[in-house]
Amino acid sequence: MNTLLSILAVFLLANLLVALLRVARGPTPADRLLAALLFGTTGVAILLLLAFATASAALLDAALVFALLAGVSGAAFAQRAWREEEGTHDDD
Amino acid sequence: MTTIEIASVILLLTGAAFFFAGTVGLLRFPDVYTRLHALAKADNLGLGFIMLGLLLQAPGPATVLKLVLIWLLALAASATVGFLIARRARQNGIVPWQSGDRE
Amino acid sequence: MKPSVPAVRAALWRSALLAVLWWALTDGRADSWGVGSVSILAAAILSLRLLPPVSTYISRVGLLRFLIFFFYHSLRGGIQVAWFALRPRLSLRPAIHEIPLRLPEGIGRVLLANTLSLLPGTLSVELNGRRLCMHVLDAAAPTEVEVRRAEVRVAHMLGLELEET
Repeated sequence: MNTLLSILAVFLLANLLVALLRVARGPTPADRLLAALLFGTTGVAILLLLAFATASAALLDAALVFALLAGVSGAAFAQRAWREEEGTHDDD
Repeated sequence: MTTIEIASVILLLTGAAFFFAGTVGLLRFPDVYTRLHALAKADNLGLGFIMLGLLLQAPGPATVLKLVLIWLLALAASATVGFLIARRARQNGIVPWQSGDRE
Repeated sequence: MKPSVPAVRAALWRSALLAVLWWALTDGRADSWGVGSVSILAAAILSLRLLPPVSTYISRVGLLRFLIFFFYHSLRGGIQVAWFALRPRLSLRPAIHEIPLRLPEGIGRVLLANTLSLLPGTLSVELNGRRLCMHVLDAAAPTEVEVRRAEVRVAHMLGLELEET
């Protein structure tokens, strides 16, 4: 079972890597923001699988923090960072 | 293998399949809006199945609750961030791809 | 000032929920409750400060029906988008649809907009007062029917009246 969990974790890691390469290429800043979503789902799934594969409960907490941060950082990036990049400094 | 282990394996493999579909969608879909569809739906479902598969192997009720909590947080994060990205993209004038356009 | 009945009730409910959360986070370890009880108390007070008790009504039957609806349709949504991604010919016909919501202003609309992003074929793009702007994967799909169905579920769960548009 642990072998299967590790294999799945590696498979998801490969997925994440390919997706990140695609996302980094853009072409728009919005495409790059998709990386925040990727870590919130694929990243969390990898951590969960590894937590069970290695029986280390600490990784579950890491996954929890990832899920929390994915929401907060994603929202912050979408609301703020991109605006700076576009060079429009209107405050609303 | 017990029945529970078999069920767990099936759920985990289903989850991985949805993640794979999400990644393929990300690579093939033509614009940021359609890619958001792929990530928001397929990846969340993938995470849901992975979570269910692991639930069956959880050592205690506290771990079960923690897994469900993680999944709910991830769901909320995806829905909210997906919406914010789509809104921002539209405000910044990114025009949605139409079926007549070249990819 | 004497605390009102709803305030006491909200404080008790939130403390209980936070205690369950603490229990899950610490894997039920008995030696953590010293720090835990202080944290729970502090979190409960902070939550009452940030979000004063409001009389939100949640129907239990409505919640259950919403959850069943949500799980079933998000499964459909995932399968549909996976099918779009994996089939050999890309056959997307995306469009932007605008639908006037019948839910009253407030949490209901936000919940609906977020829910729709996880349901088949729809992605919320803009929520402007009553108007919900959505990106759909298939322009010919009966989007409005799906939205209305989700809307009824949300309204039922939160005990909201649907308004005429």
